[in-house]
Amino acid sequence: MIKKSILFFIFLQIANVLCAQNDTAKLVQLPSNLEAHTPAAENLITLQHAQNEKIPIVPLSGKFGDLILTSENLMLLKKWSYNTAYLMPAGKWETGIFQPFRYGINQKMEIFTNLLMLPLIPEAGVKLAWRSKDDFVLASEHCLSIPTPFLNMISRKGIGGLISPEYDFSFILSVSNSLIVSRQIAPKLLASAKAGFAFALRGEKPDPQSTIDIPVFYPRMAHYYDGASIRLGGAVKGSLGDKWFYEEGVQAFIITRPENNFFFENTGTIMWAVGKSLRIRGGYILAYGKYPYETPKWQMWPTLDLVFGSK
Amino acid sequence: MNIPFYRKIVFFLFLPLLFTAINSCEPLATSFGDVEDAVMYTKSAKVTAPLPDSTIKVMTWNIRFGIRRQSWFGDACGDNTVFTKDEVIPGLEGIVSRINEVKPDILFLQECDIKSNRTAYINELQYILDNTYFNYAAYVSEWKSEFIPSDGLGRMDMGLVILSPWPITDAKRINLATRTDQAGIVNYFYLHSCIVSGSIKIPGFKEIPLLNIHASAFATDDTKQKHFEEFKAEMDKLDAAGKYFIAGGDLNELPPGSDSTDFCYEDMCPGESFHQPGDDPQHKAGSDYTRENTWLQPIYDTYKCAVPLNVYRANQSAYFTHTTRPEHTWDRTLDYLFTNNRWRAGSTITHQAFLSNSDHAPVSSEFVLVKE
Repeated sequence: MIKKSILFFIFLQIANVLCAQNDTAKLVQLPSNLEAHTPAAENLITLQHAQNEKIPIVPLSGKFGDLILTSENLMLLKKWSYNTAYLMPAGKWETGIFQPFRYGINQKMEIFTNLLMLPLIPEAGVKLAWRSKDDFVLASEHCLSIPTPFLNMISRKGIGGLISPEYDFSFILSVSNSLIVSRQIAPKLLASAKAGFAFALRGEKPDPQSTIDIPVFYPRMAHYYDGASIRLGGAVKGSLGDKWFYEEGVQAFIITRPENNFFFENTGTIMWAVGKSLRIRGGYILAYGKYPYETPKWQMWPTLDLVFGSK
Repeated sequence: MNIPFYRKIVFFLFLPLLFTAINSCEPLATSFGDVEDAVMYTKSAKVTAPLPDSTIKVMTWNIRFGIRRQSWFGDACGDNTVFTKDEVIPGLEGIVSRINEVKPDILFLQECDIKSNRTAYINELQYILDNTYFNYAAYVSEWKSEFIPSDGLGRMDMGLVILSPWPITDAKRINLATRTDQAGIVNYFYLHSCIVSGSIKIPGFKEIPLLNIHASAFATDDTKQKHFEEFKAEMDKLDAAGKYFIAGGDLNELPPGSDSTDFCYEDMCPGESFHQPGDDPQHKAGSDYTRENTWLQPIYDTYKCAVPLNVYRANQSAYFTHTTRPEHTWDRTLDYLFTNNRWRAGSTITHQAFLSNSDHAPVSSEFVLVKE
């Protein structure tokens, strides 16, 4: 019962967002052979309840199989809307060790930052919901961060010295902007595409030998040193039941400079929703890149994150 | 079975990535087996190899990865970890110039960097090979890590080399005992001492096995003694097989009977204190050789050193090959050449004039060839 209530609440939250962006909402068309206790039946119950209560209803396409918000998708988006065009519901939050803290301000705005790194990398980001059309959901992300304290902290002697202590970093302001579009492409599958760019405003260009020359770090920090970073990516997310979810994604980093300027990542992640507020994610990053030390190379790393937040 | 179209697309898209992934799982730091093949380097435009009549000149040199006498955090009380190309290339030019001046036929190098972060990702071996008369090189890593998260070291590949104008065959990396006085995580990212071995064949003479070692510098347990035992065991094997070998390298040990055995004060950095009541440790790691005084004796007793003990003891400072202090002259002997055959009398030179090129002076001598 509680689960259904939560589903219903999130359904309403998302419905509100979508309604606010689409004036031509229409009701779902229902199939005649709908079986009880199926996801479709749950949708029906939810929609009927909404109608009875005169609650605004989500816009849906004319064919049942194309429903944007089936119960599977509700669960998927409730548990894992990060890296899609969907926002956190208003008043709800979630955070991970590596995943940023996200908080839904209202139906059109989410704010995010990495809480764990906040003292070292002051960061503020906002995700805005834009107009949705033909089952495509559009959002944009905008983020400002100052990595200077972090860079100066890891430029040190001894263990944890990722950068040689002879380097000092002056003020760096990193600015990133991106657009995300998501669309359901199958009953339990949501696809998202992302395009963006990042650049840095620097007091002084850092020494090119002060980079952290390993996959994952290097491409994300490249624009601190030289050039801007163009980022293109895509991902599909799906559910394997009520508690298990997966994501497969690719991302390319193109740095606007003559060398060490192309990086590609393929990520695969499995997520287990342990409870109502805790999720464990693990998988891999397969990274390809042109690093300063040699010819392009592939490397694979494991990934792990714990995500928790509002019930 | 009817597989949805999108699943087929996903499957075929990620199949090549799966194959790539299988070959991409590199650990952060490299672990070594007991014996592994060396990495072979060859000069593209070969130089005609010499035809010696009775001796070949052999030299061993710890080149300190080409940074000359600059203060490095690891061994010279310095703050610097990383050096620029403009700092490293002149160092390599100096090394190449000295090699071309001495003209050894066989060269043992220690502390040669291959695309390491600290030396601006220069392939130092390729540079030396390209700028000298050697045609072949056998390289083994003793410190190899994709990324060392300490002191800004980053990517590291430092190793030992045998260079020769003649082809080097059967080149191997022989792993030496691991230090037991370090925490596991530190040891994981730390260097692993080793020997590079190989053989050369000069027309008309018996095959010559070669052994080049870099023993532990800073072990405070008995690891270094184990390294000498392992080094001698390799020599014993060759000797038992009736082969005439050349062995040498940076043993990081004083000859038995050295007058000075404690260099804690000489090597002390600002802010450090040793030998005083309450100091812990009492001695600087790698600077006190007192209890190790006899560790090389078994090798001296069995094989011929290019600088025999009696010669060394008669005038020790003339054979010093190392100092940690950038502004100071040589103060101890750590580098050696041994054989079970003969060194040509009077041919050994400790190249103390090369003080500006490294923190080690090379040692050269002429090995007497054995006819077939």
